[in-house]
Amino acid sequence: MSTPVKLAAIYLIAIIFQLTVFIDVRLAGVAPELLALVAVIAGFFAGPERGPMIGFVAGLIWDVYLPTPLGVAAVTFALVAFAVGSLEEGLFHDSRFQLVAVVGLASASTVVGYALIGELVGQRGLVDVEMLRVSLVVGVVNGALTPVAAPMMRWALVAGEAR
Amino acid sequence: MALAQRIGRSRHRLILLVLTAITLLTLDLRSFGPLDSAQRFVRDLLHPVTEVAGTVFSPFSDAWNAVFDYDDLEAQNAVLRDELDALRGDQIRAEAERLAFQRLLDATDITYLEDVPFETATVVRGAVGNFDSDVITIDKGSNSGIRSGMAVVTGAGLVGRVDRVDVTTATVQLISDSNLVVGVRLVDTDEVGLGQAEPGREGLFKIDQGLDWPEDDDLSLLPAPGTVVVTAAASRYPAEIPIGWVTVAEQAVDGLSLEVTVQLSNDVSDLGFVTVLLAEGIDQVPLEEPVPGPIVTPAVEPDPAEVESEDG
Repeated sequence: MSTPVKLAAIYLIAIIFQLTVFIDVRLAGVAPELLALVAVIAGFFAGPERGPMIGFVAGLIWDVYLPTPLGVAAVTFALVAFAVGSLEEGLFHDSRFQLVAVVGLASASTVVGYALIGELVGQRGLVDVEMLRVSLVVGVVNGALTPVAAPMMRWALVAGEAR
Repeated sequence: MALAQRIGRSRHRLILLVLTAITLLTLDLRSFGPLDSAQRFVRDLLHPVTEVAGTVFSPFSDAWNAVFDYDDLEAQNAVLRDELDALRGDQIRAEAERLAFQRLLDATDITYLEDVPFETATVVRGAVGNFDSDVITIDKGSNSGIRSGMAVVTGAGLVGRVDRVDVTTATVQLISDSNLVVGVRLVDTDEVGLGQAEPGREGLFKIDQGLDWPEDDDLSLLPAPGTVVVTAAASRYPAEIPIGWVTVAEQAVDGLSLEVTVQLSNDVSDLGFVTVLLAEGIDQVPLEEPVPGPIVTPAVEPDPAEVESEDG
C-alpha cells in the first residue's frame, strides 16, 4: 500500500472518529482535535518538507465541517506542522516523552492559531478565555492519544520516509 | 549545504500552502459556487460512512454518557423542553396578538407556522468542533426543499437560520451565535432594529442598531421590561416569529441610540426537533455600520408669488 493511500485511511479514520465518537465523548466539554493530531505528528515524523502538506490536507478536511471559511484550519495546521518539523529536526532526539510533550504543546498551538486566524477573517467570539481552556484540554488529550496515533503515522510514512 | 537547500525548499512549499489557503479563504468568503459544491460533495460522500460509524460507536458514546446517568435524563429532558418551549411560544404569541389587535393593525395574529410551508427535522448532532457550539446539524437537506437562509423555529420562537445545505442534512446557525444578526420589532412600541446574541452571556440578545433614545430623555417612551420582541416584517425571516422579551433598555455609549437587552424565549442549548420554514431567506445582514445614504434635502414647495415674479 502506498503512502498516499495509507494517509487517506488515516484522514478517514480521524474524521469519522471526530464526527461520531467525539461529538459526545468530551473531556470538560472539549473534544480532542484528531485532525490537528494528524498534522502535528506528521510534522514530527515527516519533517518540515512533507509535514506541512499532510497537515494542510488534514486541515482542509476539517474545514469542510467547521463553520469558519475554508482554509483557516488548513493554514493553521500547515504552519504548526512546519514549526514542529523544523524544531524536531534541529533540537530533538526521538523519545516518547518528547513526542508526547511536543504533540501536546503543538496541538494547543493549533487551537490558538485557529482562533486567531478565524478572528482575522471576521469570525467573532473565538479569542477569549474559553479559547485558553480549550487549548489546554486539547493539548492534554491529544498528548494522551499520541501513543495510539504515532505508530499509525509511522506506518503511513514508512514507504516514503526512511527515518 | 544540503540542509540549507532542504530548509529553503520547505519554506517555499510552506509559502505555496499559505497562498493556497488565502486563495481558498477569499473564494469561500465570496461564496464561490464550485468551492461550495466541492465541500458539499465531500460531506455528502462521507455522510453514509459517518452515519454507519455513528451507529456502531453509539454504544461507546452511550456508555460514556451513562457514567453520569445522562441517557434517560437526556430523553426526559428533551420531552420536557419541547413542552416548555411550546408553552412559552403560546404565551408570547398570545401577548403579541393582543397588543397588535389593540393597535388596530391587520396583522393581529402570529401565524408564522400556519401561513408558511414547513418541514420538521430532527437534530442529529450539535457542535463538531470546539468553537462551533452555536451550530446544529439536522436530518433534512436540499432533497426536502431546504435552502440556505431559511428560518428555523420551535414552538418558542426563532432558533436560527439554515447555513450549509447538503442533500440529506443541513447545518443551522443558532440565534445564540453573535455573528447572526436579526431584524426585530418591539411589539409594544412598534420600533424596529437589528440585534444579535451577546457573546458570553447565554440566553441574552442585544438590539443595538436602529433604535433611538427618546427625545427630551423621556423615559416613559422606553420599551417596558417584558415587552415582546418578534422578527420584523423587513427582516430576512417571516414576520412575527417570537424572539423573546425585553429585560433592560438603556442609553448607548453615543448617547443618541437605545440598546435593548432581550431574554431569548428559546433555549437552543439542547434541541431535539426543529421546524424549518420553507420560505427563502436573504443573505446575512452585514454587521458593519450601514453606509449612510445621500443627504436628501426636504422638498420645498415653491412660493407662487416668487414664481410669478420670476416669470413676469
